[in-house]
Amino acid sequence: MKYGFYTKLAFTNIRKNRRIYVPYVFTCILTVMMYYLVRSLSVNPGLKEMYGGYSIASTLRLGTFVIGVFALIFLFYTNSFLMKRRQKEFGVFNILGMEKKHLARMILTETVLVTVISLGLGLGSGILFDKVMFLLICKLVGAEISLGFFVSGGVILSTVKLFCGIYLIIYLRAVYTVQVNDPIELLRGSSTGEREPKTKGLLALAGAVCLGTGYGIAVTVKNPVASMGLFFVAVILVIIGTYLVFTAGSIVILKLLRRNRKFYYQPRHFISVSGMIYRMKQNAAGLANICILCTMVLVMLSSTTSLILGREDMIHGRYPNDFIIHSDRSVADQNERLFRRLEEICKEEGISTENKVEYSYLLFMAEQQGSWFETDEQKLHIERDFSKFCSLFFIPLSDYNAYSGEKQVLEGDETLLFSNYEPYEKPVLGVFDREYQISGYLEEFFGNGASDTNVITSYYLVVTDEEFGRLVEISSGNGEESCAEQVYYGFDTPVSSKRQEALEDRIMSEMSGGEYGDDFETHLETRVENRNDFMGIYGGLFFLGLFLGVLFIMAAVLIIYYKQISEGYEDRERFEIMQKVGMTQTEVKQTIRSQVLMVFFLPIVMAGIHIAFAFTIIKLLLAVIGMVNVKLYLLCTIAAFLVFAVLYVIIYSLTARTYYKIVRR
Amino acid sequence: MAFLEVSCLKKIYTTRLGGSQVRALSNVSFSAEQGEYAAIMGESGSGKTTLLNILAALDKPTGGRVILDGMDLGQIKDREITTFRRENLGFVFQDFNLLDTFNLKDNILLPLVLGRKGIQEMTDSLLPIAQKLGIRDILEKYPYEVSGGQKQRAAVARALITTPKLILADEPTGALDSRSANDLLDLLEEINRDGQTILMVTHSARAASRAGRVLFIKDGEVYHQIYRGNSTNEQMYQKISDTLTLLATGGEIR
Repeated sequence: MKYGFYTKLAFTNIRKNRRIYVPYVFTCILTVMMYYLVRSLSVNPGLKEMYGGYSIASTLRLGTFVIGVFALIFLFYTNSFLMKRRQKEFGVFNILGMEKKHLARMILTETVLVTVISLGLGLGSGILFDKVMFLLICKLVGAEISLGFFVSGGVILSTVKLFCGIYLIIYLRAVYTVQVNDPIELLRGSSTGEREPKTKGLLALAGAVCLGTGYGIAVTVKNPVASMGLFFVAVILVIIGTYLVFTAGSIVILKLLRRNRKFYYQPRHFISVSGMIYRMKQNAAGLANICILCTMVLVMLSSTTSLILGREDMIHGRYPNDFIIHSDRSVADQNERLFRRLEEICKEEGISTENKVEYSYLLFMAEQQGSWFETDEQKLHIERDFSKFCSLFFIPLSDYNAYSGEKQVLEGDETLLFSNYEPYEKPVLGVFDREYQISGYLEEFFGNGASDTNVITSYYLVVTDEEFGRLVEISSGNGEESCAEQVYYGFDTPVSSKRQEALEDRIMSEMSGGEYGDDFETHLETRVENRNDFMGIYGGLFFLGLFLGVLFIMAAVLIIYYKQISEGYEDRERFEIMQKVGMTQTEVKQTIRSQVLMVFFLPIVMAGIHIAFAFTIIKLLLAVIGMVNVKLYLLCTIAAFLVFAVLYVIIYSLTARTYYKIVRR
Repeated sequence: MAFLEVSCLKKIYTTRLGGSQVRALSNVSFSAEQGEYAAIMGESGSGKTTLLNILAALDKPTGGRVILDGMDLGQIKDREITTFRRENLGFVFQDFNLLDTFNLKDNILLPLVLGRKGIQEMTDSLLPIAQKLGIRDILEKYPYEVSGGQKQRAAVARALITTPKLILADEPTGALDSRSANDLLDLLEEINRDGQTILMVTHSARAASRAGRVLFIKDGEVYHQIYRGNSTNEQMYQKISDTLTLLATGGEIR
């Protein structure tokens, strides 16, 4: 046979099957585009020049890998569905005299055709969007560089290679199915009767227990450090639980419904329940997958969005002032000189300052044992139970009063206490050789911003100046490591970030000038510098979250679309029979609607429940990286869910319409 | 007036493109009394299926009327047609048309469920029918677990459960082996003896020979009729065979 014959045949076949081929090819194009985009962004030379470009690049590289794996699984899945639908067609070709090798050649031509179309259009639109995306990410990060049109031959090549590989695997599978089936089997296709799924009560119970335990952990966890480890335990439990509940649990519930005769023997329930039992057998795993994907996407989207939107809050929490200096308290003279010098510099630069804060503090790491705090390093078991760990800040009363403008009075071992996480409810607090009487709690504290204050519980204790002096002596006799005797100096300034950066440079050179002696250890932190780093890390994450979100939504939706269409063909016969037996068109429509609704919205409803339960634990995890604005996170979660739901509803209505068209014929 | 009155039935299909017309039924008239068992025979393309579709209210005639127990099928509103079909007609199909997702019991109950009948009523009507058709022990089984004959008996039970005025059977033995086919024909005869009106469309002379009357359709018209009278099944079979031969050779009926 001539070569042109196969090309023509392939074209005709694809056109004839356009109802299933158009979405497939569309998916291929989108997947190629996505892959190309992420991959080319990750190697864009301009990225390295940006602030935090390195962390974006590495997250994007990870994303590339994820999308690659995803592309393989997804395209393979959609294609296997497509081929299943076409088995009958192959059977006819086979009977009409096409040998298996001719069929293989026909499929090859079709695959090549799809490959060429999807790679061509995918890469084309990818290159086009590349520029757009890059500008978008630059804007997001706030870097003011625009890059030229960037096309990487290497990336194109690797994209082509990857997808050719994927299509090859797909092709081999298709040929394999054609090869192992004889014509009659091909003709019969998927119409062989399905057995009713078995009831697996034990597994369903296990699923409920897993889900319950996972939820329980997520809801009851209180300590952010402990939540890190528990989060993964909860996630794994919930994933297992979701699978079990979807596969075994759904069947158990449906069979229970069927046993309830009053409920079951009503037209709508009668058909939906019996249909769903079979549907769940084939779809449970897929639906569970979709549910988990949805949950991940929603968590990713809501948390990264709230990080981006709440970044100022976070930066303010981590850095109480625009400019902060932590300095060793023992070199009081140098400190004093430096701070006065800074004031002069600001004046010279014409930069006004406000909210000036200066206080001394002692910081101890301790393990809480009831009302006793162990500070001896030998006795700390950090690896044993991290959640018991806390930091103790001691602040002299005079510094506190000077800052707050209050006139608090303390005597002897009295103390004022502030806790950032877990409230301290005991009347006394024992540390070293003393038991402090808690005479009052502070509503708020100006904060310290020491790097781990947001992760573990921190107790700030305001003590008398004499007591503070005594503690300094104790700490210096105690070895250096577990305590730090520091001065905090900070101020804000209303000037632009450009001028702040300039000021930062000037202060840095002042501090490293050697004027203050070699052993003078100071540490400068500025919001303006960290803002850039922050966007570098979280801007990339946000971008990737958005990107993967779109990809996963697309995947989830297309999987469901395919499922519905494939079932539409199977259900057509059933609905025909039912109409013959006396079901009205309206009843058919209603039944279809409720079935499609159930299949469609089960995963997203379940995902909604997951997210609701995960809220507490994710809130704590976000707090670990300093995002403490719960309201913002809540809003982001709701918004992400709504956007998702709207997209979902649109796809649902499209699917339901196509499905109805197929069923009605 | 007869129980089932078919008069001057005409059906013309117009092809969607080109507008050429196909005459499926040109002029069919016959009547049947309550409790009759009539078979309709004819070659492929003779209009049998069209006739059955019109009788089943699945299709509308171009001309003529069908009156079942005083009701004119043409006068029933579209909205009510499904209900009419469910309440007055029972169907037995060649390929059973049982739903794989239901066990036999639920398959049989399907018309009652669609008619929103109470559970008690369902159970009350199910058991005697299942008993009679000998499928009581397999009610919990699924269609793919039972034989063709058992499937068809379940389908008959489904047709009977609404106590329809008329049972329309479309090649009911077509997918059965001869033994099961005979069993089924015995069953239909028995049901008919209980007073059930049955109209059966078939190719098979063996099946038709069990009916009380056989109508032959050719080129969209009732060409000939044979009444059983006092004939035995064998004699009836002989008569049908002769008629079929005549039909095939195009001879005239004497």
